[in-house]
Amino acid sequence: MIVTNGLAKAYKDVKALKGLSFQANDGEITGLLGPNGAGKTTCLRSIYGLIHPDIGSAEVDSIDASKSPLEVRKRIGIFPDKFGLQERLTAREHIAYFAGLHGLHGEARKAAVQQVIDDLDMNDIADRRTGGFSQGQRMKVALGQAIVHQPQNLILDEPSRGLDVMSTRILRELLFRLKGQGRCILFSSHVMQEVAALCDRVVIMVAGQVVAEGSPAELCARTGQESFEEAFVQLIGTEEGIML
Amino acid sequence: MKSVFITVWLKEMTDALRDKRSLMAAMSYAFFGPIMMAVAFMMVIKDAVSERDVYVHIDGAQYAPALVDFLGDRRIFAGDEENAAREIYLEIPENYEENLASAKPVYITVRSDYSERSDGSYRSRVESALREYNNTIVSHRLTLRGISTDVISPIRIDKQDTATKEARAAMILGTVMVFVLMAIFFSGMNVAIDGSAGERERNSLEFLLAQPVATHWLVMAKAAAAGTFALFGGVLSILLIPLVFIFVPLEKLGIDFSMSMLDQLGIILVLIPLAAFASILQLFVSFRAKSFKEAQTYISLVMFIPVAVIFAVEFTRFEHPALSVLPVTSQHQVLLATIGGQEINWLMVLGGAGVTVVVTALLVAVVTKMLRSEKVVFGL
Repeated sequence: MIVTNGLAKAYKDVKALKGLSFQANDGEITGLLGPNGAGKTTCLRSIYGLIHPDIGSAEVDSIDASKSPLEVRKRIGIFPDKFGLQERLTAREHIAYFAGLHGLHGEARKAAVQQVIDDLDMNDIADRRTGGFSQGQRMKVALGQAIVHQPQNLILDEPSRGLDVMSTRILRELLFRLKGQGRCILFSSHVMQEVAALCDRVVIMVAGQVVAEGSPAELCARTGQESFEEAFVQLIGTEEGIML
Repeated sequence: MKSVFITVWLKEMTDALRDKRSLMAAMSYAFFGPIMMAVAFMMVIKDAVSERDVYVHIDGAQYAPALVDFLGDRRIFAGDEENAAREIYLEIPENYEENLASAKPVYITVRSDYSERSDGSYRSRVESALREYNNTIVSHRLTLRGISTDVISPIRIDKQDTATKEARAAMILGTVMVFVLMAIFFSGMNVAIDGSAGERERNSLEFLLAQPVATHWLVMAKAAAAGTFALFGGVLSILLIPLVFIFVPLEKLGIDFSMSMLDQLGIILVLIPLAAFASILQLFVSFRAKSFKEAQTYISLVMFIPVAVIFAVEFTRFEHPALSVLPVTSQHQVLLATIGGQEINWLMVLGGAGVTVVVTALLVAVVTKMLRSEKVVFGL
């Protein structure tokens, strides 16, 4: 479970987060939806403790991210905003490296890596160096390294960007499977359809603040709009920065 | 936590060993120094040892055939079409024989551009040959008059060189040792850049820092990987030096060069803290850079400092007690002492190693702090 309480963060004269509070529950997919520059990435970085908020706190399974970042990071899998791969390592070595950083060793590590490779259906590319991988293959490696330690919470920053249909499907199937296992999934996006199709709950944020929270159906009902898209536009009050 | 260190170190080593660029850099610096010096020494020795024929212009050779023969014995000849004469003119006057017979001074002119350095050694050979001929005539004349030649040379100089062959070697081979230190500083450079600015450039830094790993272990493991390469370069050059110098006839310069296995082992041990220091210094610089190229620019500027210090100490023979304990210079002094065959003050060596380790630890702390700062990591 991921909870943020009144997160605020300012860079010089730009206020990236202005008292952001929301909650992402176990067994649910929570979408963080907002136009570009709404503070989505800053929010996620505060959750994994790379950015220290000026005010407020981010908690994962009731552990404060700025007080014990290492404990928090053990409980989350991260699919970051920018994921670069170690191009001279094979996909298997790559995933095994991060399994090692999570404290897995020996046979346990081997088994965990093989499990992920099977889950993501990437046996064909597992022993090739990642240097020449396509965008979809790179995404699989990035997903693999994020979930190899079987985290209770998974955080994805704009995961579907630049993916083709097949890769998007693999991603969706994985997220649904993890949700079925009772894990907490939080992902940010500015792509409407993706959020509507995937999420149990949506947190809409604009300019560092939450403007609405609820299931897509609830949000439609609240605004009196038929489509989620119209609801979103009405909620954020502008058409700027939305990808349809 | 140790296992994390090993995991990161192993990964960085695998990565670096698969990177041809890092490997080539590590090898080339180690090879480059000793081989370049060996070639340079070969040239110097060839020049210094072999007496080459000197061809000069001799005017009035017909007036002094005996002198010309004497010069010929000293391998000084008149130039001809085949062997062009140098710009050195020897003029023998017409009255040579007459003045010599009547014990009057004979004026022989040596005309040349004395600012021309390349002819300098030939000029002095011509002059010393003439002086020698002068002395021969003097001793002949005195002997004819029944006077011992001892009379005109009351003082003789007896040169006794107390320099050991090793000490003389240290003077000349000190330069070679500078290359060992340079190998330490340059061999691990690419690995250090790849693990820092490289991570940032390929956008993998954020994810790495978001792992449940204490940052100082990450920094130490990366420094250790770069340090392994640095040490590898240093060890390679230390092992190569004696091999390469087998082919250089140093004994012709009166130099004895020997480096036992034990000496080599001692040097390698001394180099270990230096390798760690060099690597963390490189990480410190290149974590501040945004790309590989930017890091290379910064690093080559920063690496210039230790190299300049070593060369300055090497060539000015500057001495100060602090040099024996500071990083870089303390290791340099141990290297010099080893090839100089001098007694090594192990207390000083330990002191130097200790200071180097402390400075390295401080830099680890600084780099760790840098990586915990959002400003440095995200460039905000």
